[in-house]
Amino acid sequence: MSTLDTSTSKQSDLSTSVMTPLHHMYVAATTEKKHRGLLQEVWHNFKKNRLSLTGGIIVMIAVALAVFAPVLSPYNPVEQFSAPRGEHHPLPPLSRSREGSLYLLGSDKFGRDILSRAFYGTRTLLMLAASSIAIALLLGVLMGAVAGYRKGSWVDELIMRIVDIMLSFPTLVLAIALLGAFGIGKTHIGPITLSNMFKIAIVIAITYSPRFARVMRGVVLQEMAEDYVDAGKVAGGSGWQILTREILINTIPPLIVQASLMMATTVLTSSSLSFLGLGLQPPRPSLGIMLSEARDFLFLRAWWYPLVPGVFILLIILGFNLLGDGLRDSLDPRQARRTQL
Amino acid sequence: MGVYILKRLLLAIPTLLAASIIIFMLIHLAPGGPVRVMLGPAQDHALVEKLRHQLGLDLPLHQQYLRWINKALHGDFGISVTIHRGAPVTELLAQRYGVTLELASLSTIIALLIAVPTGITSALQQNRLSDHISRLIAMLGISIPNFFLGIMLILIVGVFLHQPWATGGFVPLRKSVSENLIRMFLPSIALGTAYSAIIMRMLRSSMLDIMSQDYVRTARAMGIGWRSIVRQDIVRNALIPVTTVMGNSIGYLLGGSIITESIFRLPGMGRLIILGVERRDYPVIQGVVLSIVFIRIFINLSVDILYSVIDPRIRYGAEGE
Repeated sequence: MSTLDTSTSKQSDLSTSVMTPLHHMYVAATTEKKHRGLLQEVWHNFKKNRLSLTGGIIVMIAVALAVFAPVLSPYNPVEQFSAPRGEHHPLPPLSRSREGSLYLLGSDKFGRDILSRAFYGTRTLLMLAASSIAIALLLGVLMGAVAGYRKGSWVDELIMRIVDIMLSFPTLVLAIALLGAFGIGKTHIGPITLSNMFKIAIVIAITYSPRFARVMRGVVLQEMAEDYVDAGKVAGGSGWQILTREILINTIPPLIVQASLMMATTVLTSSSLSFLGLGLQPPRPSLGIMLSEARDFLFLRAWWYPLVPGVFILLIILGFNLLGDGLRDSLDPRQARRTQL
Repeated sequence: MGVYILKRLLLAIPTLLAASIIIFMLIHLAPGGPVRVMLGPAQDHALVEKLRHQLGLDLPLHQQYLRWINKALHGDFGISVTIHRGAPVTELLAQRYGVTLELASLSTIIALLIAVPTGITSALQQNRLSDHISRLIAMLGISIPNFFLGIMLILIVGVFLHQPWATGGFVPLRKSVSENLIRMFLPSIALGTAYSAIIMRMLRSSMLDIMSQDYVRTARAMGIGWRSIVRQDIVRNALIPVTTVMGNSIGYLLGGSIITESIFRLPGMGRLIILGVERRDYPVIQGVVLSIVFIRIFINLSVDILYSVIDPRIRYGAEGE
């Protein structure tokens, strides 16, 4: 596509394919009879798609559960109750402990309330995924913006080679290898002590940042082919000014789409690591660890044990996937047309 | 054609070398040095020095790397330190790779068996009920974590339906082909489901893309039957981007097999790398990761070359640069 290449045709009239998503919407918004603002237009597009709306609602519920976990949880997630006489943990949903506490969704092997642990697990999972994505975005945007803006220079060449090399590792394998090197648990690097959670966030961020760098570079290149960049230069703006004030603003929509879709994969990666015993460590409530523990109780027919954390993880991932797809459709119609689903 | 393949091969070598440097450096990321980590807190000085020497850690860094990569290129990944003290890593890998490759191949076959028919019907029935249902299931398929799916399969088929073959464990192909295949069935489903959803979504969208092309309209206007257009033009062209997506998803398959092997207790390289991380067996970790990256690059390369055979435009584009 010529739009990705600054060296080819720079003259383009605004009505053809080189319009950015924002232009598209601007044109769409202004040509409609009822005038809408940009955000309203995005919201209008988004609302039309019922699946993406569902995704947004699921994500909002998950975030609410994470934030209000201490209020919403019926019990302390690490508090252990005893099983009634003659019975053993894990107890099925709606049973009571000897102390009389009600296990709405059953108990785990230590007599802890699975529902409360699932709420707190959602909290840790979202915190971990969001901090990983934040770090990955920071690294990726920086690398991609510099590479794109200095297209063809040695800096671009170097950054993109690094990105290629990082992408030759499967993400989960790279994360496992890095965690293997650092070791499980708290890590001391020289005078700095990394908490286990922060270390995992950094490892995941390292594995995902190349993807953001690629997206960012592509978008910056696309934007640089636009007339407004030339106009800014003619008007006497410095390159740096144009990059920070004009181009970066327009890279936000595709980055939001990517971040939402990547949240889904990051949630998957971090819960996979916990499941494998390489991520968060017990007694911290983690959905991945709960699933891993449940394996020992399958033959006792403790179906609720894996089902509850599994459904939580599934819904969180589904929510971000639906949301990301919907955002892509409403924020980036051109991309949406290409990979319509 | 030959020039294109050669070019691609030459481009893959620096990537592989750079990846190998990262993998080599992993061992030096260990806080306090790898030997201390491997031997644990109780360590006497002579033993530390002996192991350091054995692993070549007393040499300058670049010499260590050259020694390591030279050996690795000759198929020698060093010696396992903690898992099977003294066993060559290459031997451990050789024992386990068959299982992983079998799992990955069976998953791919299952994924294709599900994805191709549903993807094609979904595209042809765009926006009808069957399309909506398949898309919803595909969305669920890419969202369900394979460890959750695997556990639920064991619970439902193995525990509630009392199927002894469904509870995990491995039977070598040499011992019994049928027993091996039946035990690999659920693991392949657990691993293949998300893969099939990815393929199905890609197939559907690329078919829709092609169906809106002018040449399809022209073909219809010329009076060619719809069925033959679908078979000759649409599906065949739509498979091109699908091949790329499949090649790119090899990483998913290899990463996912680590989890699947852990759930179903399959003795593949996924189990090996987890053991390696748990017991701090650095040569094993390095060996597994390097071989995975090698396989991945090799498969991506093969897909690129295959792609250029199916679609000559790519080849000319690349040569024209």
